Amino acid sequence: MSATLAETLDAVVGAEPGGAATLADLVTEPVDPGILDEHAKREVRRAILTAVCVPGYQVPFGSREMPVARGWGSGGLQITLAIVGVDDVVKVIDQGDDEGVNAVNLRRLVINTTGAVETTEVDEATVIQTRHRIPEDPLSPDQTLVLQVPVPEPLRGVERNMATLAQMHAEADYARMWVSLYEDKVRNGVITKSTGYPCLVGGRYVIATTPIPRWDIPRLHQAPFLSLFGAGRERKIYAIPPDTDVEPLTFDDVPFEVERTPGASCSLCRASEAYLVEIPPSSFGAADGRWICSDTAWCRRRRSEDNLS
Amino acid sequence: MGYAAARGGLEAIAAAEDLVRDARDLADSPWLGLDQLIDRQRLAVDRVMGEGGLWDPRLAARALQQAEGDTIEASHLLRSYRATMPRFAYSHAVDMDDARVLRRIVPAFRNPPGPQLLGRTTDYTGRLLDRTDDTVARERAEQRASELVVLDSGELGTDQLDTDQLDTDELDTDELEQRTAVVTSGAVSALGSLGNRRHRRLLDVLRDMDLMVDRRRSDDPDPVDITRSATRPPAPRSAVLATMARAETGALVNLWYRNILGPDGYIHEVTLGEVRHAEVPVTVTHPHTGGPIDIGVVRVTEVEAIEDLDGADEERTRFDVGYGLCFGHNEKKAIAMANLDIACHRDRSETGDGAGACELEQSILMTTDGLDASGFLEHLKLPHYVTFRSMIDRKMAMRAAGASDPGKRGTDAPVSVDPREGDCA
Repeated sequence: MSATLAETLDAVVGAEPGGAATLADLVTEPVDPGILDEHAKREVRRAILTAVCVPGYQVPFGSREMPVARGWGSGGLQITLAIVGVDDVVKVIDQGDDEGVNAVNLRRLVINTTGAVETTEVDEATVIQTRHRIPEDPLSPDQTLVLQVPVPEPLRGVERNMATLAQMHAEADYARMWVSLYEDKVRNGVITKSTGYPCLVGGRYVIATTPIPRWDIPRLHQAPFLSLFGAGRERKIYAIPPDTDVEPLTFDDVPFEVERTPGASCSLCRASEAYLVEIPPSSFGAADGRWICSDTAWCRRRRSEDNLS
Repeated sequence: MGYAAARGGLEAIAAAEDLVRDARDLADSPWLGLDQLIDRQRLAVDRVMGEGGLWDPRLAARALQQAEGDTIEASHLLRSYRATMPRFAYSHAVDMDDARVLRRIVPAFRNPPGPQLLGRTTDYTGRLLDRTDDTVARERAEQRASELVVLDSGELGTDQLDTDQLDTDELDTDELEQRTAVVTSGAVSALGSLGNRRHRRLLDVLRDMDLMVDRRRSDDPDPVDITRSATRPPAPRSAVLATMARAETGALVNLWYRNILGPDGYIHEVTLGEVRHAEVPVTVTHPHTGGPIDIGVVRVTEVEAIEDLDGADEERTRFDVGYGLCFGHNEKKAIAMANLDIACHRDRSETGDGAGACELEQSILMTTDGLDASGFLEHLKLPHYVTFRSMIDRKMAMRAAGASDPGKRGTDAPVSVDPREGDCA
């Protein structure tokens, strides 16, 4: 609030300080305002820079209202809008699928308002916005992964009070998280945390890994690419910079387990080393239950390569 | 294949949009114009402006029209529209005593300083569904309109007409004379002077009687702009108030009532000191002259709630006050807000400033926003098959590890298995 109105106005309309901006400029509709104004984009970029500097720390930011509901990728969308330009190629997936309706909706919002180009091919993309998955293909250092985060706070299961939570992170006090994992193991025989598995980033902050499946967790460790996590509703941005340690919280004698069903393989491309999702039998006892890859672009490419060879 | 994995998601989305738009816009009835919404659905428009955090009746009406009357959805449309725009300026602080009062109720005294101005309200109207035939109702309205035109050849100002309902019992002589003058001359606009008067607040009277705790602070910190920062507890009072001003009305009402009858119990029932509906000017600094300039008028509802203090460490011989103010005419919201404001202050005092244990403050800051709550609720409709597959995986892993199942009776006794030998790795 320190800038005067005149300074702010001049900055917005691009006028010389104290110069030509008139009241007419004030009331004139901006040309193609897009869905996020430039000041907001700058604010998001600043939060991203902080997040990259302090890996795993949840940076608060003044999350704006997007044309998608909160909980539907509004945080990821703000990050993507803040970092893409006309030179970017954007891939958007939901559950690993480019054609999921929410992925389609987010992609058209990004493409229609930024001038970026769309793709479904991982290797063409410069920015990949995703909900719940990391693509099966390895990503490269010049690619950025933007993850939509519904619940950024990994400790909420053990503490509800937000001021206390902030203090626990500040002091790296994760004792109660460890106790809860221990109790889980004792009570259930396994650690039952399914997706969004808590991980220690850079040896300092515990993060919620969105809800990506445990299958995807090892690929965050020492990854060559930048991962940005956006939680629009909870107004938080956090990051895993390239070449950063990401360790799932587990005990020395309890190995971290990823999803795996013995004998399961994709009914389309026959992959077994991929994150598979189940298509249940049409009726009880029917034999038509099967598995398919959740990463549809990856699966499709495998099949086309099979046909070529 | 399901909606998520189906090819042609874009076509499905476009078809859904057509269904919504066509059913709404091509309905076999006259077009629902913005003027009709503004004139006849005033409270809905006000509510959307309040929860949308944007004063513009035409845009709010357009949002309601587009959202088929869903106020939360309409608020979302307003807010995401505003997010496309830069913030040019902050308005000057408003002295609420300068407001033009349209309605004012003081339940705490029979004859408070200033008028009891009933104004435009259904508070004392029987809640009877008017089943008059619609055609007859319209004819009556037209008849009434012609009568009013005879009464006042000037412009038909609805807010001014409301003051016809002044309760004469509650007026002092001065005001009674004014009212008489109005009724006899039919010069409705003369009532404007009644509204423009600075009415002494009940709070001032109570302060004179030395009945109020004085929490006024000497510094004047800038209020928190909740649209530009991530407010979370512990937060300044301005952030809590701004959050409530923009909160979903039902959420505030529920949070209030939950504290009356639910498990939380942070709230005492207050006595209302002021309930006002008023017009206030919006003033900014002119970008080039540097002088103040009025750029519009907004209507607000303002409430001051007098709180009885009974805590061990409180000034039990005095009262305290909670404050509520929101866009438009929305008394439910402003009353809940004022009561929650003082309850939040007392809760925080009890638990110690900054100690972070203020649960009511967290409930207000984090759970009353309509967009946040409804957006997250509705996100459950999104595909979740990646996470669900992972959950099934854990169920199977638990079985393989021999986890006991307290809900299951019968033969399956728990098997002792070293979990490290499970088949998942």
